Amino acid sequence: MLACARRAVSMASAASLDLGQLAQEAEALASAVRGALGPRGGQVLLTRPTGETLFTRDGRRVLEALSLAPPTARMMVACVSMHHSMTGDGAKTFIILLAKLLRGLQAVLDKREGSPFCEDIQRGERHQRSCHSLKQISQSIMTFQTLLLDHVMAQDLRKHFLSAFSNWEGEISRDTIESILEAYFCGRIGYSDQKLLSQLSSDFYYKCIPFKNDRNEMLNLVNEYFVELHFAVTGLPVSNSRILEGLILPRDFAVYCPAGGDIRILIVTESIHSALSAPGLEFVINAEAQYQASQIWITKRTEAIMKHLQNSNIKVLLSSVKQQEIVIYYAKINGISIVECLSSEEISLLCKITGISPFIPTWDNIHSEISETMIAKFCQPLVVGSKRFVHLGLTRTCTFQPHCVIFCGPVHGVTEQHASAFHGAFKMLQQLFKAVDLSDGCEVQSENPNNSSKAVHCSCDQQLKTCMAETEKQFIDSSWVGENPSSMTAKENTTTSVVSKEITAAKDFWKAGNPFNYEKSYKYTVQSYTNLVIQQGSVLPVGGNFEILLHYYLHSYAKQCQEPKITVVSTVIAEALLSIPKILYRTTNKNSFPQVYFKATSALRTNQQLPMSQQGLESVYCKYQLVVSVLHCLTKLLTIDLIIGIRRLPQKTEDNDSEDDL
Amino acid sequence: MSRIEAKKPSLCTSEPLTKEVVSYSLSVLSGILKSCYGPTGRLKQLHNGMGGYVRTTSQSSVLLGGLSITHPVLKVLTASVQNHISRFSDCGLFTAILCCSLVENFQKINFAACTVTKISRHLLSLCIDYLKSEACVCRIAVDFDSIKTLLSLVHSVLASKPACMLNKTETNHISTLVLKAFLLTIPHTVETNVVLGRCVIVPVKDKRVMDSTVFPGLLIEVPAFQLARTFPIKRISSSTIKMALFCISMSGDISNTGEGTVIVHHGISLEVAVLDQLLSLGKQLVNDQVGLVVCQKVIHPSLKVYLKEHHVITIDRIGVSMMEPLSQMTGSQPIASLHSLSPTYYGSLKDLRTESFGSKHFLHLIPSDTLVCSLILCNRNEMAWDELKVACQTAEHVLQLTIKQPLALLGGGCTETHLASYIRHKSFTLPTSALKAIDCSWTQYQLVADAFCHSLECVARCLEHDDCEILTDTVYGHFWSVQSEFPSDCNWSDLVLKCGCGIYSKQQNLNWRVLQSQCTPFTPQSCSNESFVNSTDHLVLDCFTAKCSGLQVAVETANLILDLSYIVEDQN
Repeated sequence: MLACARRAVSMASAASLDLGQLAQEAEALASAVRGALGPRGGQVLLTRPTGETLFTRDGRRVLEALSLAPPTARMMVACVSMHHSMTGDGAKTFIILLAKLLRGLQAVLDKREGSPFCEDIQRGERHQRSCHSLKQISQSIMTFQTLLLDHVMAQDLRKHFLSAFSNWEGEISRDTIESILEAYFCGRIGYSDQKLLSQLSSDFYYKCIPFKNDRNEMLNLVNEYFVELHFAVTGLPVSNSRILEGLILPRDFAVYCPAGGDIRILIVTESIHSALSAPGLEFVINAEAQYQASQIWITKRTEAIMKHLQNSNIKVLLSSVKQQEIVIYYAKINGISIVECLSSEEISLLCKITGISPFIPTWDNIHSEISETMIAKFCQPLVVGSKRFVHLGLTRTCTFQPHCVIFCGPVHGVTEQHASAFHGAFKMLQQLFKAVDLSDGCEVQSENPNNSSKAVHCSCDQQLKTCMAETEKQFIDSSWVGENPSSMTAKENTTTSVVSKEITAAKDFWKAGNPFNYEKSYKYTVQSYTNLVIQQGSVLPVGGNFEILLHYYLHSYAKQCQEPKITVVSTVIAEALLSIPKILYRTTNKNSFPQVYFKATSALRTNQQLPMSQQGLESVYCKYQLVVSVLHCLTKLLTIDLIIGIRRLPQKTEDNDSEDDL
Repeated sequence: MSRIEAKKPSLCTSEPLTKEVVSYSLSVLSGILKSCYGPTGRLKQLHNGMGGYVRTTSQSSVLLGGLSITHPVLKVLTASVQNHISRFSDCGLFTAILCCSLVENFQKINFAACTVTKISRHLLSLCIDYLKSEACVCRIAVDFDSIKTLLSLVHSVLASKPACMLNKTETNHISTLVLKAFLLTIPHTVETNVVLGRCVIVPVKDKRVMDSTVFPGLLIEVPAFQLARTFPIKRISSSTIKMALFCISMSGDISNTGEGTVIVHHGISLEVAVLDQLLSLGKQLVNDQVGLVVCQKVIHPSLKVYLKEHHVITIDRIGVSMMEPLSQMTGSQPIASLHSLSPTYYGSLKDLRTESFGSKHFLHLIPSDTLVCSLILCNRNEMAWDELKVACQTAEHVLQLTIKQPLALLGGGCTETHLASYIRHKSFTLPTSALKAIDCSWTQYQLVADAFCHSLECVARCLEHDDCEILTDTVYGHFWSVQSEFPSDCNWSDLVLKCGCGIYSKQQNLNWRVLQSQCTPFTPQSCSNESFVNSTDHLVLDCFTAKCSGLQVAVETANLILDLSYIVEDQN
């Protein structure tokens, strides 16, 4: 079969997938970003074909800029980009992890002897054999990801998670937000501006999102309209970066008439001055006088509209199109300011936060009342650098408080880096407030039975069920403790022993004496629902803690696991995870990797909390998502058996993802 | 089917700063910039080798704009200096030289980039806090009651541009003109929002520098034949001429007719219809006693003739750039309608005259309230004129910045040496708590601080290009230069006259040492004895805002460059 396929595509170049080559490509990609990983990472300077330069520590940008030729390498980069655009974080860790995993799997395959993936087929071509074992590996990884990962997270890792919320209502304190953001910026921008940007972004968070109830909606809004909510000024020191109340439209007024008090603003999306003829209509001129009269009529109409706007107390017109000079002239006479050429995004942002729709001038509504207006405290020119902008302070808005960020920096490359890091930080915060449901993953898997992994599936399910039952019992109690401590006495007679055990355990944990003083700032929230693997706002201290924890528990799981394929896969993943802390602790002499690792594992063996060396928190959801994405990418890579070069663009399907065209 | 072209893979360089090509090109660039610095700076000639325009200059804005730089690291450096120049006009060379020296000096000590960044950030904040505090003795407050300090500021800017080819009297003359022009743009009545007027530079390239002059109001160049046919202007009163300013075309073209079709019956001429409208507009202008009609675009000849018959002067095609100063100066609003004229939108002029300069003829529009003025700038040749124009614009910008923040820094290298002594002293006495906050050792801090001060002093040293020895005193920390051919047995005090900025002359109690030689840190002081402070001559002064920002930009850019661990160059 394969031979046929080869002959069929002999016109083009075809190559089978080689794991060693994959690993090499991933390693090459990883080596480009390795230097930028972690708080001690350096900057990467990118130059574009246009000659501009860009500073970055963003893994995605670097990988995309490499523009590597091999299709599999491009597929890896596409996976990284997908992951990054979703979570705003983790591009560098992604590729390093992927490289390690590929290398680890290659080592497993090379060993041959005793490897569970090589037993099944002893005959057949070499290529066929390796292809078969790759397929098996990828299936095992899939099984691992859908079944075991969630299980390990729920069973073992969950007890180490901290909550970013300071109370049960989900309020989040400024200190927590700042330490999460600072940890994020440590990996994304140069040393000197990390403090400044984390303060700026936490200010922005609290200014824009004063109430936690609409947090998710507001974060969506900030992420969607970030382009409109920031702008950059070059040639000034970075320390001039600041947050301004209100919105900034990056253009000058076409006409500016100062106005005080509450300013009524109208949005228009069409030209106010009408032309002689409209599309699809004919205008017949019979006499010169008629032409003159119609010109005068049009002018009078524009005058009447502007007069009507003035009578309706409209002070500012925001227009998405360029208005005629005559409109500007009458606006000036009537004391109305005009801002022209607003982008459609700006219009939609304004409409969204004020809930109004654009005004369409027709002959009918020239005399009727205008209701679709917004009110601003101020609408004035703002000079930043040497350019003039429109500064708009809206009053009647939805719960979103419009603010905008001004990024200053000596060169464009710096302001762009800051802006994209800032945007990424808000994407990351969005992830922080997400939760992972355990039941979901299981259901999806059980609906999709797979022949080869059935055995694994069953054995895992069995293990899982027993574990689940156990944890369920615990968590019913603990959720009860957390939610309603006053009712504890009522149920005491039934579950006294368990409850008291839980409480003492929790107390012991708090006594462990950690640098954060968790009793005050963070509450260790016992997860209230059994089906949540990761609760909203779960965080872990930075510095490879997540990786070390997952490594430790995967290792211990692998030891007791009966299924050899799963054991191998978990071991490979566990080993690969360690590469991240290895890089993070590569330079410091005080905290070298072996020491950190030893301390952590000995603490875990004696059931103590992990020792922490750094101040800073990261979202568990982001980390979890990262591992899932890497495993997805890996399975996708391993299921390819032949790479075919063709001479024309692949046909794109209607709803293609970015990977599809590779 | 589209043609597919494979993208070339990018070129990657790790640890770029250790590469020889970077340090070599950096030293070449800093060599070029250093030799241009200051009043005695050497001139550079820029040409493309193919018979193009040749430019002689020593200004950073022209120089950096002309150089084609290929290495990405140097691109970052020059881009940040150019952005600084576009914001502040002044102190471009200072920023560039300081940045180069910082990169070179920090590379020599070879610490981890984050340590250097942290410490230099701290040093920078020490500098900025000091410069902005009242205790700072290397800055002076600008007194707007007298023009002395303002004149010194302008003079220092012009004197530091040797490619303008001005001698001493010419420099004084141009300085006075620039200051005079600037003062004319300040409104008489001060409201909350002060909007400065405009100074329009009018080029006259075939006259002597000393013929340059300033006129209140605007000069609009007109052909000589038009000037010959002038007539008595229609005035409302002896000192008022009514004027109308149009921003639309008055050429009689058909305005846009929309996206649909317009059908014109045979025998009907739209042009005639429009011209009728124009002439009726002309009639209304005449009735309203307008004496001058100015149009941004073209006026129809028939309308011109009609207006001329009624003794109305017309000026057309003045361009969009003149519209704002014209409307600002005369109080007239640009009119965009041919159908309805609101009399409130007419403006007024005090007088209208004709002037001739060399071979050029101008209509001189004299407003009743000056806010706009014209600076006629003359210089011997094209190249020197271009250079002088940039220098005058820089000086004007410096004055505008100074009015916002009325402070000036001592120039002539004194601020740099003073700041270096201040930082040496401060870092020597730094409390251990501060070191803990930065997370570095005392030795590390000292080494970085020393490199920082060394770079500042290096900038000051660049002011002297002739064979001179640079000294600094141990009381004020100012900059003194002496000729290097001196007898070995003679005293420093016999050789020095006054410091770089000119504020101190030599005193008995002063001790000098060679700049950048080892010494014990001291607190730089201000002079308590007034008699040593020079109050008659011009001081050399620098723009406060521009220099502070330049200092920050230089340190930030140097840190950025040092932090580089990898370069990815797109080869497409």
